[in-house]
Amino acid sequence: MEKNADWQWEISSHRPWFRLNLRELFNYKDLIFRFVRRDIIASYQQTILGPIWVFLQPLFSTFVYFIIFSRVAKISTDGIPPFLFYLPGTIIWSYFADCVNATMNTFQINAYIFNKVYFPRIIVPLSTILFHSFRISIQLLLFLVVCSVYAFKGNPVHLSWQVLLVPILIILTACFALGGGLIISVLTAKYRDLDNMTQFLLRLFMFAAPVVYPASLIPLKYKFLFWLNPLTPVIEIFRSSFFKSHPLPIPYLLLSFLTTFIILTTGIVLFNKREIQIMDVI
Amino acid sequence: MAKKLIEAENISKYYRLGVLGSRSLKEDLKHWWAGNLKKSLEPTDPESKRDIWALRDINFFVQQGEVLGLIGKNGAGKSTLLKIISRITLPTTGRISGNGRIASLLEVGTGFHGELTGRENIYLNGNIMGMKKKEIDRKFDEIIEFSGVSRFLDTPVKRYSSGMYVRLAFSVAAHLDPEILVIDEVLAVGDAEFQQKSMTKIKSISREEGKTILFVSHNIQTIRNVCNRALVLDMGKIVALGDTESVLASYAKLSRDQLLDNDFSQQAVLPGNDNIRIIRVELIPKYLNQFQVIDIRTDLSIRFEFIYQSKEAGDLMVILQVFKNSGELIFELASADYNFKNGRVKGESAIPGNFLNDGLYYISLAFVKNSSTRLFYYESCLSFDVEDYKDSDSNYGKWSGIVRPAFPLNLTQEH
Repeated sequence: MEKNADWQWEISSHRPWFRLNLRELFNYKDLIFRFVRRDIIASYQQTILGPIWVFLQPLFSTFVYFIIFSRVAKISTDGIPPFLFYLPGTIIWSYFADCVNATMNTFQINAYIFNKVYFPRIIVPLSTILFHSFRISIQLLLFLVVCSVYAFKGNPVHLSWQVLLVPILIILTACFALGGGLIISVLTAKYRDLDNMTQFLLRLFMFAAPVVYPASLIPLKYKFLFWLNPLTPVIEIFRSSFFKSHPLPIPYLLLSFLTTFIILTTGIVLFNKREIQIMDVI
Repeated sequence: MAKKLIEAENISKYYRLGVLGSRSLKEDLKHWWAGNLKKSLEPTDPESKRDIWALRDINFFVQQGEVLGLIGKNGAGKSTLLKIISRITLPTTGRISGNGRIASLLEVGTGFHGELTGRENIYLNGNIMGMKKKEIDRKFDEIIEFSGVSRFLDTPVKRYSSGMYVRLAFSVAAHLDPEILVIDEVLAVGDAEFQQKSMTKIKSISREEGKTILFVSHNIQTIRNVCNRALVLDMGKIVALGDTESVLASYAKLSRDQLLDNDFSQQAVLPGNDNIRIIRVELIPKYLNQFQVIDIRTDLSIRFEFIYQSKEAGDLMVILQVFKNSGELIFELASADYNFKNGRVKGESAIPGNFLNDGLYYISLAFVKNSSTRLFYYESCLSFDVEDYKDSDSNYGKWSGIVRPAFPLNLTQEH
């Protein structure tokens, strides 16, 4: 009997710790965009306002924060008009939260597909991140419109060169959310207790980032810990680039790159290692 | 010798059943602490119902261009093996090596989204099954034509009837173009006409396009029609592997755990009670094929013998009941009342072929005195499996109805 010396693929119980098959991922690029398209189409089916919801969600939250944190609690907004202060924080925060939420439930939500067909599982979280990136792009356009309205009415809006960093800030947020979501997805797949806990922690986490208050309110002794959160430089630099032109907090930005890199790598490695085994316990 | 496309070596799959909870967490931690996964795989308690080997030491290969059939009863491990080959679950031990792109059809319409139109879903499902956009573009017209739902292409599939849904889904699957195709019994869907069409398509994929196919079914006829080699799984192990005809013969032996013969004549204590003692109950099929499988055409005769010991005289009647496996009574037969003397009594009955539908059946006997007092009820004393029979031209799929009699229904052309 002829012996095939070289096989194209092999299935065994052994899965190496580091295995990221970029070529395979590239072969499935159509699927990634197909999922994005599906999510876009499906999210506004049978709604009257349709795509307008993309704008309404951040506007509503901003309005609520404006009432509670600015009017009632009277928390400083660093001299920025409150509405303009809350809007970018809300947009970036909900982008982050949506990405984490979707990614961490990858296995539960897609079990019906994962039980029937093979494709690199990471495609699902990647496409979700892209879907939410599409949404945030539109929301940022809304922010630009609101900004220009304020500027037109004579409010201080000072664009600085830091605006050019915005795409990088969004990518940083996406990587942080993806990494965190992947880690949580692997950890919560078997024991759902962690799932309830993370929901709660995620809600708390919003208050650990300068969404509804400025970073300048943080006492000096907690400053380092506060800036360790990758979302802090993201939101702060975003605001400063439109209104304040603070000097760029380079060390903190680099630190958040490093933190995000570590989290993302851990997430991908864990996910790749466990993506198939997990299906036995879902 | 043709080139091997898939080779499986020592594939085993171990499942831990039972509820996940604090106990499984404790075990997980223990295993993790012990750091020896290999050891922890062995069930701690061999009697434990919580651990099973779904597959044990499976070795086989598939050559280019052949259609390998996988047969086995429910729970034999067929699906697990398919899942491993499809890379949906990992084997616990062993290795499968292969050449070429595999497409798995464990379900039709995987990932279909109700809110999307038929058109969108063709692309979505095609991409999920591993097709590229360009590939789908090229085959799009063919897919629509095969499905026959072209009028509803821009309607969300949630508005489709289940028949239309299945047609569309299968059409996408039928136009996959992998080197190796793995097919589960997804074909048992849709109406008879479409099933026939699907089956023809599968045959043409294997014969004309020379595709390598792994085909799972528990229907002997389908396997015989489509496959050139077959593999029988039972309790997670391979019990037969080879050319289809010889393998099917051994499968027939395997399925003989149906209870056709209950002979107690050599036993010291006969089942029954003071009034009735059963000596023997048997079902004798008049087999029509060399595999000795009961199919829907097979005539069955039933014989039984018992000892009747009654303290007072009275009329005895025996009622024979035929149940479907689900417990549904299909029919019952009653003997005429007769005042038997104490001693041996023999009974005989028959179920003609072309009467029962395919499925699992069991028979119970009731012994009744003076049409009112039940002396003894011998529950499910016989059980048997009626296989479907299809000649190659007939429709695939389950024939509906409780029974399946071959009563005449004739049409004549009037001039």
